[in-house]
Amino acid sequence: MSPCVTKVNSNLAAVTFFAKTHAGDVCGSNGLPLTPNSIAILGRAQYLKTIEHPNLCEYLDIIRGKHERTIIVSEYAGAPLDEKIKICNDVKTILRIFYQVAEGLNEINDHGFACHNLEPSNILLDSQNNVKLFNYGLFYMTKQGEYVSFPIGNIRYLPPERLLGSQNNIKSDVWSLGMIIAELFLECQFWSSLKISNIIRKILSLSNVSKVFEKIAREHNCFEKYDNLNSDVRELIERCLSTSISSRPMPNDIINNKLFQENIETYAYKAPPKPEQLLLRCPLKQVYYLWQLAGGDVQTELKKEGLIRSEAPILSMPKIVCLNGKIGGSKRSQSHLADNRIVILRLNNLVERLRKVPSMAYFPLIHSPKFAVHYGAGMEQLPLVIRERDTEYQFYRVMLFSRMLKGYPFTRDMIIKEAQIDIPPLLRGAVWACLLDVIEDGSYERIDKVTPTSTDRQIEVDIPRCHQYDELLSSPEGHRKLKRLLKAWVASHPQYVYWQGLDSLTAPFLYLNFNNEERAFLSLYKFIPKYLHWFFLKDNSAVIKEYLCKFSQLTAYHEPVLAKHLNSISFIPELFAIPWFLTMFSHVFPLHKIIHLWDKLMLGDNSYPLFIGISVLKQLKSTLMSSGFNECILLFSDLPDIVMETCVVESQKMYSVTPKSICYRKNVLHEVDPGEFDISDISLSELQGEVSPRISANDLIDLIFNGKDAVVILDLRGSLEFSRMRVAGSINIPFTTVLLGDTRLESLGVPNLESILADKIVVIVSVVHENAVLFSKFLIDCGVSRVCVLHQGFNILHAVVPSVLVST
Amino acid sequence: MLSDNGTVDFVYKYTNHDGTEKTIEEKIELPFDGDVGELVNKMMNEMEPMMRYLDADVELKEALGNFIRKKNQEFLDSRDDALIEKARRPDADLEALIKETEKLYKEELLQFADRIGPTDEEIFAQSFHRLVHSSSLPEILVKEKGYAKTVADLINRMDTEVEALNSEQQEEMDKKINQLDISTTSEDINKLLAHQYTTHNFVRKKFESELEAIHSHQRNEYREWITGQVSKVFQTSRVATPLGNRSSMFVTQTPSMEESFTIHLGSQLKHMHNIRILSADVTDLCSPLHADESLGGLNMALGLYSSSLCGVVVLTPSGQVAANKKIVKNANMSTEFHFDQIDDQLEKIQTEVKNLNTQDAASNEKSISKLKTGDFFITKHSNLSQSHVIFHLISDEPFNSPSEINSRHPVILGLRNILKTASKHDVTMLTIPALLRHEMSEDMTVSWCMRRAELVFKCAKGFMIESASWGGAELSTLQLLLPREISEELFTTLAGMVPHVFRVANPKILESK
Repeated sequence: MSPCVTKVNSNLAAVTFFAKTHAGDVCGSNGLPLTPNSIAILGRAQYLKTIEHPNLCEYLDIIRGKHERTIIVSEYAGAPLDEKIKICNDVKTILRIFYQVAEGLNEINDHGFACHNLEPSNILLDSQNNVKLFNYGLFYMTKQGEYVSFPIGNIRYLPPERLLGSQNNIKSDVWSLGMIIAELFLECQFWSSLKISNIIRKILSLSNVSKVFEKIAREHNCFEKYDNLNSDVRELIERCLSTSISSRPMPNDIINNKLFQENIETYAYKAPPKPEQLLLRCPLKQVYYLWQLAGGDVQTELKKEGLIRSEAPILSMPKIVCLNGKIGGSKRSQSHLADNRIVILRLNNLVERLRKVPSMAYFPLIHSPKFAVHYGAGMEQLPLVIRERDTEYQFYRVMLFSRMLKGYPFTRDMIIKEAQIDIPPLLRGAVWACLLDVIEDGSYERIDKVTPTSTDRQIEVDIPRCHQYDELLSSPEGHRKLKRLLKAWVASHPQYVYWQGLDSLTAPFLYLNFNNEERAFLSLYKFIPKYLHWFFLKDNSAVIKEYLCKFSQLTAYHEPVLAKHLNSISFIPELFAIPWFLTMFSHVFPLHKIIHLWDKLMLGDNSYPLFIGISVLKQLKSTLMSSGFNECILLFSDLPDIVMETCVVESQKMYSVTPKSICYRKNVLHEVDPGEFDISDISLSELQGEVSPRISANDLIDLIFNGKDAVVILDLRGSLEFSRMRVAGSINIPFTTVLLGDTRLESLGVPNLESILADKIVVIVSVVHENAVLFSKFLIDCGVSRVCVLHQGFNILHAVVPSVLVST
Repeated sequence: MLSDNGTVDFVYKYTNHDGTEKTIEEKIELPFDGDVGELVNKMMNEMEPMMRYLDADVELKEALGNFIRKKNQEFLDSRDDALIEKARRPDADLEALIKETEKLYKEELLQFADRIGPTDEEIFAQSFHRLVHSSSLPEILVKEKGYAKTVADLINRMDTEVEALNSEQQEEMDKKINQLDISTTSEDINKLLAHQYTTHNFVRKKFESELEAIHSHQRNEYREWITGQVSKVFQTSRVATPLGNRSSMFVTQTPSMEESFTIHLGSQLKHMHNIRILSADVTDLCSPLHADESLGGLNMALGLYSSSLCGVVVLTPSGQVAANKKIVKNANMSTEFHFDQIDDQLEKIQTEVKNLNTQDAASNEKSISKLKTGDFFITKHSNLSQSHVIFHLISDEPFNSPSEINSRHPVILGLRNILKTASKHDVTMLTIPALLRHEMSEDMTVSWCMRRAELVFKCAKGFMIESASWGGAELSTLQLLLPREISEELFTTLAGMVPHVFRVANPKILESK
């Protein structure tokens, strides 16, 4: 006996078609090659994913295959009307269908488009005889059919004006609805045996008829049935089939017809009982996401059903291709025709994978420490890429995060804590917004994104160059949205200007929040002051100089040997690092890498990017060390492939071991005023003169008390002063005894100095600041890492209470 | 009010915060395709700022929304009513519309299309592909080899016989010429010449018809055998590699000089490609398949119906459709089991050219069957060593005077079209002549070669970057072919240019911890 696999009714389905290929070599008005139509469809269809209505199937995904293939994944609840036609023979059921389709059409109309693809096979009925419209967005996503070569809509149900070229009028759908209902009442299919041309002729001839329903009924010998119908119903259908379009009712008029309103409970949507399977109670987008993780692949499913037919490419090769774009001898294969078959995506695999998941896990209790169960524990050790692909783990994460997101902003601290582990890709956009303290308040709507400004031209030029390998961002819809976001940002920051790079910076937010421009905008709005304060000033040179100077100092702090080498060939950060920091690396890395980088960035403060920069350098260390100036320039002109995981881990490590004051910059958003023992106000010229960063007294004291072994203090004062008063455990190297020219540690005459300094934070303490600076350079030349200078010198330590000083 | 051009004025009356009655106007274009909320905010900016705090936007939004919805619908309805009205007129020509719509439905929707079953070609492709990926592969190869031998033998026989005849005739002719004005007249010589010519032709024709007979006989026998085998083999096992799978090629032939690189292309997202620069004769890449004991046959058979085809670009002069003579000869060395014999293919291409050009009303009689620089035609092969498809690119560069071209030159554009076709039809390994020349000539100086190679490299790089957005197959290997006679020094120079033009992937160095 084979084990019984729980049978699950799947409500996911896919349809596929080919987008129209552009003929020959045509360019758009901007001189760039035209976007493939499949990409344009993909961009437009994103909007459909936001539509949620009980009478409409939810759109879940749009996939682009090879050679312009487009696949639409959507909800598919119940069975189509043409299969259930037998049970739809009582007046109540038919009117119920009538009413609910009208509800669906009304929703579509409210979204500002028309269906134009209404036919019995696209009307689904569930167990409660609720209607859900399927594939209603085809006309919209293909931009009125412009992006595909095939006609949209079943010819039998098209109104005459559609055949004559009308578009986008919801009343055409009302006609289709009228025809479908008329067929149900008359219990026959109209013109079932006619050829297409004759059907078209019939429909066109109807435009001269005043009572279409009656005429059709007579034509099909059903006048008796027609006559027996309730006169209200008859009259409503007759109006739906009116050839005067202005007198045809709107979907809303049908809904409000007294025929339905008098007995609304009979017709209105009745929620079906909750499914047994807890999984099926989850939002469909989550189910689909998990289905993919559990090995679901839409293309394979379509292949299995024969909807994607594999053909040997060599057979369809053309015979000649002329320079003017004409192609000869390539015959069009029938497998490229539109096929309206539907493939159901089975959930068995996913159900099997999640069988062991306890029911509790579907409802994580985040506020009850008593019941805290840590699902997915032990997975943290695995690499991120594996965790992101693990069905069960992602299930726990998605459940947890979607619960926490519901409580935002109250749950913000919890979200931060969990985000430190990792962020589930499905919810990344929303989680980032939480990390950035975004509250959606409708302010985006108020910003003027339309009025032309002087920056438009530059934006126009930059957008077609911004992450165009990505399908979403390269679609016309993506371009439109990116432009709106950029314009909105510029309009809301009169003190700033548009610097090239802002486009790259915006791209990840748009990519993650494609259907929520406001969230994308507000995330960007909060992100910039946090990490790029004053970078977008018209004159940002001082800010950038300070930033790069800090970058050099930190490179010297963590990688003294590399810093020394780069310095010796004068390969300064100004030459390569500006695009890194100005765009927070979004200009140099592909989106899938930026996302992992920013996951961590969002959790760190404004200094974190500096460590990313260092870890990039570190990864290329061996190449850099063996290269001269020219090779380095060439290497960085197009950054080679960087392993992001290592980069993230390295930068996090450095970030966590570096005292905060080491990264001090003047040009950041300071939320608290600096105290007596903090660093404040270092001028740019001072900063540029120093090779090593400064450390604040506060951080030094903290190191002394809380991590004594982590720090070594080198005291440069004279030995007399040293013996009088010093920090316990510090080493005295009187500056007068140092030979700056002899860059060996041994020359200092302190036994075992190298091993003492290894893996420690080396703090130079002096009374004369210039000496400390010179000595720090000496140490870096010797290859000592983590060298820093105490801000304000030894004397600041006198004031510290409780005292850290000892005297003899 | 609805005006003709589809704009309406929205007039909004409201009470200002100080109690005065005010109106505000806004032009709205129909059909409306914008965001009501944003329009409201635009209008709010024209009101006094105080009004925002009085939540005047809520009312405005409702009024504007209703107005737009109403006007928009009215606009659409009147537009459509007009359409119907037009169709009602007795002079409306509906037949054309009916025909067009019917055609659209029949040609584009599978539901209404006249179903055509798979062609013989497709069935055979399917069968062959399944067999080749089964245990019958060696059997197929042996069979093909046997067939190839028969043909090659015949061709050899023809060659020797024709040779013998030639020398015999030459001798006879020499004799006669020596006797000229002694015992023979020039008329006799002419007669003899005519006679010899007829004999020669006769012998040739005889062999050619024999060859043709063998080709078609072998082809039929082979195809029948393959189809027969399939039903036998797959009665037992049902596992098969689907058509259009990925297949990889292992190159066995070693050209005189070659160097390989792995490169990254793309500014943010990097795609990896292989570049190989080599010097060889282009006909070496299209040599007869079964001539030696190499693995070539296996390679070609496995890859033939896969989605990783190999293509070669061969330059050919303009004018009539004609392929490189040597390649034609190579292709005729054995029977083409899968496609038409190359001569037939060329003939069909010639007809196609005529068809294409007659559509063009502008072209005159003379140029009707001619191809121009930058055009290319494609032949398909199953019996050549390293190419499934050959792109015959028309180039008219005179042999002895190397010219200067730029990136807008037709040949370069033709190259782009080839890459585009390759991407569309899953050619993943492509060989292009790096100098756009197959042979070296005296006046091809080092600096000219470098300039030309740089141009071709850079253009190829550009096209490959562009190809990422074409949505087809990615070119995995690009071979840059240099003439066989190229000097080692020049080869090294040109090979050295590759890493400068293309970004070479950084080697991953495993560091010990």
